[in-house]
Amino acid sequence: MSRFALEGVHVLDFAWVGVGPITTKYFADNGADVIRVESAARPDVLRIGPPWKDAMPGINRSQFFASFNTSKKGITLDLSKPKARELAKRMVPWADIVVESFTPKAMRNWGLDYENLRELRPDLIMLSTCMQGQTGPNALYPGFGQLMSALSGFYYISGYGPGSCTPPYGAYTDFIAPRFSAITLLAALDYRRRTGQGQYIDMSQYEAAMQNLAPALIDYFATGRVLGPRGNASARYAPHGAYRCADEDGNERWIAIAVAGDDQWRAMLTALAADSTDRRFATASARIENAAAIDEFVGSLTPVHNAHDLTAKLQAAGVAAYPVENCVDIHQDDNLEAFGFWHWLEHKEMGPSPYEGLEHRMSRTPGTLRSAAPILGQDNDEVFREMLSLSADEIEQLKKEYVIF
Amino acid sequence: MPSELLRGLRLLDLTDEKGALCGKMFADLGAEVIKVEPPEGCSTRRIPPYLEDIADADHCLYSIAYHAGKKSVTANLATDDGRAIVAGLAAQSDFLVESHPLGHLDSIGLGYDALARKNPRLIYASITPFGDSGPGKDYAWADIISWAAGGQMYLMGEEGKPPLQMSLPQAGLHAGGEAAVAMMLAHYPRQIDGLGQRIVVNMQACIVWTLMNEQAMPFLHGSHLSRTGVFFGSADARRKMVYECKDGHISTLIAGGMTFGNSTKALIEWMRENGLGADWMRTKDWISWVPGVFMEMTEQDHRETEELETTIQRFMLTMTKREIYAQALKRRIFLAPVATVADIAADEQLKARDFWTAVPHDTIGRTLTFPGPFAKLTATPIGSTARAPRIGEHSDEIYRGLLGLAPERLNKLRAAGSI
Repeated sequence: MSRFALEGVHVLDFAWVGVGPITTKYFADNGADVIRVESAARPDVLRIGPPWKDAMPGINRSQFFASFNTSKKGITLDLSKPKARELAKRMVPWADIVVESFTPKAMRNWGLDYENLRELRPDLIMLSTCMQGQTGPNALYPGFGQLMSALSGFYYISGYGPGSCTPPYGAYTDFIAPRFSAITLLAALDYRRRTGQGQYIDMSQYEAAMQNLAPALIDYFATGRVLGPRGNASARYAPHGAYRCADEDGNERWIAIAVAGDDQWRAMLTALAADSTDRRFATASARIENAAAIDEFVGSLTPVHNAHDLTAKLQAAGVAAYPVENCVDIHQDDNLEAFGFWHWLEHKEMGPSPYEGLEHRMSRTPGTLRSAAPILGQDNDEVFREMLSLSADEIEQLKKEYVIF
Repeated sequence: MPSELLRGLRLLDLTDEKGALCGKMFADLGAEVIKVEPPEGCSTRRIPPYLEDIADADHCLYSIAYHAGKKSVTANLATDDGRAIVAGLAAQSDFLVESHPLGHLDSIGLGYDALARKNPRLIYASITPFGDSGPGKDYAWADIISWAAGGQMYLMGEEGKPPLQMSLPQAGLHAGGEAAVAMMLAHYPRQIDGLGQRIVVNMQACIVWTLMNEQAMPFLHGSHLSRTGVFFGSADARRKMVYECKDGHISTLIAGGMTFGNSTKALIEWMRENGLGADWMRTKDWISWVPGVFMEMTEQDHRETEELETTIQRFMLTMTKREIYAQALKRRIFLAPVATVADIAADEQLKARDFWTAVPHDTIGRTLTFPGPFAKLTATPIGSTARAPRIGEHSDEIYRGLLGLAPERLNKLRAAGSI
């Protein structure tokens, strides 16, 4: 048995920024050969995105890029040049899968669209992923994940109440769509194995993100009800929210608590060394109805407690609770540690830095972060020599012509 | 019709809200997905809100959305017969996904080891809040707990106010999607050597992944972020991400450089056409203006950024989301409305792509509109989904067909409360 799940699978990866590279990362970390095609003429936006090594920007200093491109090889081709496009085409017969994530017209303009590439490899599977899909009036929408999170409704349902809008951190939808594109590619690969047939996949980040909003959309179409921001209120739990705990080392500390049913309510009171005879809190439905009052009540009790100690007490009593962790905390978290989540990888220019590991673990063919992301053009010589049989002189000449660039 | 992609493969779905999306994804791709529920129905049948506030399983919006395309059987896992039936189904399945408390299914003979002895091909995924070995492996869970443990919550909200969760819980959806991908990854080597395996999905890790590498800030920048409300970036170089407009909010980001410079120029030009903004805004070389979020800004940078953001705010208040978005599309400005579900439902792009799909629900006597397929495939398109099953709707069909149980036996099991 091979060591990795996808050993022998070949992916030619023209994708950039978030969704495409995260999709192919699933393949790379699981043993597929993934070759990222980039260009210094128009670098991947993430190569200049923070955080950077020592807080100093640079094309090979971005952890943002590094994290999404582990276990991949990197070559450079300036696809605006015909010779570069010819070289790219010569790589296509090698590829089981081609992935790209430009705005829809780019690959067509270069003659690298599916119709052209399938002539070079008839059973090719090709995925195009972009903001709003390959067709439709807004197909050329220029955007990125943060804006897509606003357009997809996630900003609107994030806030303290009507009129408030406090978005989730980062490009939220960038972390929804890759699972949909990865499973579609894996399923298409299996289909091809059974039928010999490849195909083209048009993925819209917008449409993938909608899957995580489905109940609210179905509800709106049926009843006109618009889901709005409502803080941490829940229709199932009360209390339900984040409550201030004792500061530690000058940092504010909070604990998340979710209480369901009377037993948990009483257990929570005991853990907090408190009692309540407030009639508004007498039953589960009354507590949910009086969530604002209950938040105030719980919030008045928690500040004397240490968030970690209180978590232990509440969890021992069967109440769902956890410290609200910041980015320092998650690196010291015992549960992530036990899962072996963090990886320190040596990057050619950044040196060692911490990488997020895989979100799952397989017993027989576990994936892993095999190497840090390539610096720009890191594998040019190897790939062009071995895959396209170019001589050292030819490679040198193509570099001089800024084809390999 | 679901896609032909995974036709012939069968998945047993023993999850609750921590993994319901997993089976939905497999069903959309054409696998047969059998949801195994206790006789009173899975807890996902009782998640508010309900359609028209009718609090029954058929009107539970969560079930309507995430059990669509599945079949439902009931089995009482507290009984020997119920457990034997599920083991029988697992012997004939390709995938099993579950989110029971850690070790529970092992303790009743439905863990991976027991099931794999009879069916070595089985791919078995367990969705866990905190993995399977840390001090929190048996911790009680709710969606907000993953949001807190994964670092998103700390970063959502405003300074001085509590950290926030979204109004539609998300962690269970991330975990379900992750389980689906992981199982398909494991399917690939199985097609070569016929062997399945065990997968553990970690929900806390799933949320850490949404942080866009903010996790590395302490190591690379020597600091970490706190809640920044509508701003993005570090305290000394923040950019406003959200602006009020006539009927809500829009989101845009002012920056320079090759990526953002042209968008900023186009926005300034548009404001100037409307008599807003200072001369310097138009003459400034935005393409070579590099200070970004997380980068050092001079006093002039701060002053200019603030003036620009104030101008944008004034301008946006004169228009609606729809008017602003239309212009942004035309002028290629990085901008999006803070859309409500109503805005999304009216969006011309989704309509033009035939995204919305009608799903007849004879169970409640109406047809509902669903988000459509998550991908468009040329050879094996994903079509419309079947409605969510009633609790145990397919018990007879599955138990007779797959397990060969006679009607009399089924009646006995039913009478005994096993199914």
